Amino acid sequence: MGGTLGESCGISEDVIIKASSLAVNSQNNATGYKMELGPQETFFAFDGSWSVQDFYNHEPFGETKADIALFPSLKSIGNNEVAMINEGFFLKFQSILQTTFQAEVEKAINEGKPIIFTGHSSGGPVAILAAVWYLAKHTRSGGHAPCKCVTFGSPLVGNSIFTHALNRENWSRFFLHFVGKYDIVPRITLAPFSSIRNEFAHILDFFNPQSRNFQNPLIQTSQEASTLFKTVLMNASTVASHTACNLMGSTNSLLETISSFVQLSPYRPSGTFIFCTGNGKLISVKNSNAVLQILFYSSQPADEDDLRIAASRSLYMAMAYHNELKEILLGMQDVVYLEDETEIPLSSNSSALGDTASVNTALKDLGLSTRARLCLRAAQAFEKQKLQNQSTIELKKPSIMKMHNVIAEYQRACDDRKIGYYDAFKIQKGNEDFEANVKRLELAGIWDEIVEMLKRYELPDGFESNDDWIKLGTKFRKLVEPLDIANYYRHSKDEDTGTYLREGGRPKRYKYTQRWREHAQKLDEGGSSETTFWAKVEELKRKTYEKTKEQVIDLEKQVNEWVEKEEIGKDVFLEKSTFVEWWKTLPQKHRSESCLKVHLANYMQ
Amino acid sequence: MDQEPSSFETSEMLGRFLASTHLVPESWKVCARANVMGNGGFMCDEVDGVVYVGFSGVVMGDGLDLFCGKMVGLSDDGVFHGLVKNGDDDGDLVMVDAGLLRLFFSLLNTPVFQNQMFEIKKKQKPVVFTGHSIGGAIAALASLWLLSYLQSISSPPSVLCFTFGSPLIGNESLSRAIQQQRWSGNFCHIVSKHDIIPRLLFAPVAPIITHVHTLLKSCHLTMNSPFFIRDLGPQLTEHEKNELFQFVLHYLEVAIRSLEVGTRSLPFVPFGNFMFCSSDGAVCIEDTKAIVRMLCLMFASGSPSSCIDDHLEYESYVEKISLQYLKRDDEELYESNTYEAGVTLASQSVSSGHLRNGASRRNFKVYLNREKLGKFWDNVIDMLEKNQLPHDFHKRAKWVYASHSYQLLVEPLDIAEYYRSDAHRIKGHYLKDGREKRYKILDKWWRERDISGENDNNYNSGRRSKFASLTQDSCFWAKVEEARECVENVKNERDPLRLSVLWTSIEKFNQYSRGMIERKEVSTDVLAKNSSYMVLVEELRGLTNTWCF
Repeated sequence: MGGTLGESCGISEDVIIKASSLAVNSQNNATGYKMELGPQETFFAFDGSWSVQDFYNHEPFGETKADIALFPSLKSIGNNEVAMINEGFFLKFQSILQTTFQAEVEKAINEGKPIIFTGHSSGGPVAILAAVWYLAKHTRSGGHAPCKCVTFGSPLVGNSIFTHALNRENWSRFFLHFVGKYDIVPRITLAPFSSIRNEFAHILDFFNPQSRNFQNPLIQTSQEASTLFKTVLMNASTVASHTACNLMGSTNSLLETISSFVQLSPYRPSGTFIFCTGNGKLISVKNSNAVLQILFYSSQPADEDDLRIAASRSLYMAMAYHNELKEILLGMQDVVYLEDETEIPLSSNSSALGDTASVNTALKDLGLSTRARLCLRAAQAFEKQKLQNQSTIELKKPSIMKMHNVIAEYQRACDDRKIGYYDAFKIQKGNEDFEANVKRLELAGIWDEIVEMLKRYELPDGFESNDDWIKLGTKFRKLVEPLDIANYYRHSKDEDTGTYLREGGRPKRYKYTQRWREHAQKLDEGGSSETTFWAKVEELKRKTYEKTKEQVIDLEKQVNEWVEKEEIGKDVFLEKSTFVEWWKTLPQKHRSESCLKVHLANYMQ
Repeated sequence: MDQEPSSFETSEMLGRFLASTHLVPESWKVCARANVMGNGGFMCDEVDGVVYVGFSGVVMGDGLDLFCGKMVGLSDDGVFHGLVKNGDDDGDLVMVDAGLLRLFFSLLNTPVFQNQMFEIKKKQKPVVFTGHSIGGAIAALASLWLLSYLQSISSPPSVLCFTFGSPLIGNESLSRAIQQQRWSGNFCHIVSKHDIIPRLLFAPVAPIITHVHTLLKSCHLTMNSPFFIRDLGPQLTEHEKNELFQFVLHYLEVAIRSLEVGTRSLPFVPFGNFMFCSSDGAVCIEDTKAIVRMLCLMFASGSPSSCIDDHLEYESYVEKISLQYLKRDDEELYESNTYEAGVTLASQSVSSGHLRNGASRRNFKVYLNREKLGKFWDNVIDMLEKNQLPHDFHKRAKWVYASHSYQLLVEPLDIAEYYRSDAHRIKGHYLKDGREKRYKILDKWWRERDISGENDNNYNSGRRSKFASLTQDSCFWAKVEEARECVENVKNERDPLRLSVLWTSIEKFNQYSRGMIERKEVSTDVLAKNSSYMVLVEELRGLTNTWCF
């Protein structure tokens, strides 16, 4: 397992220590951040901020939809759900974007030194958002080297879609979050604002270097500190046990009902978490659900602890990162890596040897009881189930490809007969049309199953960025969607329920696969809508030219482009095709000016 | 087929989730305040955007006389139309307790209640109906009424019902209708370990109705007093308490048996979720059979006085379970399997210990899941017989061992239940007449298993150095029961020929059991003080002494 932390995460220990020093000391900069040139790296350290507004922009949890223009990847692709992020911290980041920040980042890129975003406590979320922004703008679109993001005791910033998106883009590995076993800050936003309204502002002063209560020991032991600690712990327990029930596959109907009566925090961990036990050990965890469980269970006071001591420790721990890490990282490192494959002993009395024994010691140091360990196992099993689901689907690939070939063969045979397969299918005269329809239905079954799994997030996060599947999905869409449209209009379904392209008319299997391709190739929404060509023709055909003139011209332009790029076949120009038949009905004047006249010269008269 | 039926047991985790929210303590607060208001009172409160309506559990005067376990069919007058329309013939008639329904209707018809409900419907906020004791039953009826009403509304507000120590309110048709409407998730009945009231209506209460009324009156005086003063008004004597306890316990056992056999339906049947609490935690269960078993199992571990006290202890249970999150658990378990560990946590949460034959954890597990596992193996056997499984399936090591450990775990409990319910008096002894087919088949698999590779795997490869964790003969207890009958018969038998037959079988059992113990093939519960086996051995020793001299 593992090696040193530096080796495993690709950031050297010196850089981490340097980052922690910069992060802890970054405050009160006019721009909200400080840039520092290291010998090898460029650091951007973001200021902490100590206003309640930054944590909770509004009740109950202060989250907002991520701005897709700034963070185009922060969504699920097929489901098209946009990630939620903490609005207060987002606004801070947004104002930093208005400063010299963008120019300095570009300068750093030009100098070719790796960029490290870092932040301590409430500076962490801003560093995280900056890194996500950088990765989208400069790495994904600009082709520059990825950045790294290192935070220390940062609050959580995004919801489960945020985590999903980072995993899908394979960006999670660039995020390293150090969290002290008892530090309260990373756990705070698991509680709704209303529950800590009376204490929170008071406690924030303890962290604020500008406040006269900065690190005031009286605050540490105050009643407010105890109450805050207790409330946050209780809410962490609610979120953790609710998630655990779902991970364990509870089907109890009460679970759902209760969820609409309690305020459950949307925030979830993302990236790699490194828990510091306080006795010189580090435990690295990537599984977001496992991190969530640890966030709760490791901060539970042991039996003998006084609540006040636990509360006081939860504040103190938030300030101790730099010194603790310096000591651990420069000495003999004791790092344990909890992967999804790692065997987790359920009892701390386990007599296991070797790696399992060191895992056991690590879990003991985190204070994880059997119940906590069960939850970790559930988090692991949940991910394993996703992989299992994927491998079940992978097994279907050969038969998908075989069926694609049958339909491609059908398309060729139609071409030979000088009739487009769209029109042949619509007429449904021969046995081969019937066979193609059978294959269409079989394929629909398989793809719908995949879509269902995606809807419930039951496939690994990376599935929708898997090249093979994107290619397969695109091929499927190109070959089969015209048949679905043909089928739709052959049965005049438009007269019963409306057009194919209306909301809810087009099957999800095509919408999802279209979005996969558009996201992978960074196309605009609708940038790969060529497979709906026939539906557009059918729609225009049913309207008068006068009313749709502009749409007709648009479509012609698109067709021209699609044919040029070979996105659609030339069979659309065959004499008997629905398209040509319709086009011929357009006014003479329009046709003579059409951009398609080269292709359709035969039908001008 | 590669997966276990489920690899996690979640009843305890769900209990934890519920206990970590404000819902239970807030509900209790409103209940307690409503109780102080007295007869027919109710009160509303709004906390964090949730409206709580608490119904007083205190019924004074002749109102209580209505509560006598009589049932009445729900009529289709629109009040409960969500439930009634499913009853086609008489057998399906949805019935509820007549007295409780009267109490609810008299509340429903008051203008002050109607106004409150009007306000609540207007607010479009989630509603919690709650009540303690009889108030719980009223809350449940009010929830059913509101859920029925809301059916006709698009995007209705959520309704949730928490009862504390509520009596059962309706029959099996009611329970089924609630399931069909998918309303089970809207009900959570909180039941403390020994509380007699939620168990009361498994018994026909008519013969003991004066006991019941005395008990309720005294409880209600306590609930009604602002400082919760105990022992107000006339009390049941110790003897009467004991009568009541034994009476209800008997009918709980009958209830389990009739669920098991499925012949006679119970007058009252639980519905929704049950959250069982002790001071060590809570578990949440939805399956009706499991609920009845748990009601019985936990009650049996109580006493005539604790079953009454527990009806008044909800305040302290609620406080304890809702502060659980503050304390790291220091329990240590030895299970390597996630499911087993979940079961252990759940059984610890309700401390369902003190059971006959020890092994409380195992009992708990089986009560929750014997049904499920039994069906699972029945399916496997069925598929094997229909050739739907590979021909050598039953010889594959993994399956043989899985089935064997299932058998060792579960069959002893089937045996215990068989003898506890006196089935042997009707059907004959377990081994000959009561044993399920699946056990016989699993036995055969075990005997015919491929043992060539076993020495490598250390299975049975040498003598045991410690007692087994599970007794290695799943029928051990059945043999004990048969021997016990022999011993009983010896005492009364005078015919020398029959006596010698009896002694031969006793001796055979003696040799068998000693061998098992010498080879350490029994688990330690066999040798525990007061185990059925040890009691038998004692008795036998006495008997041999008399016979020798």
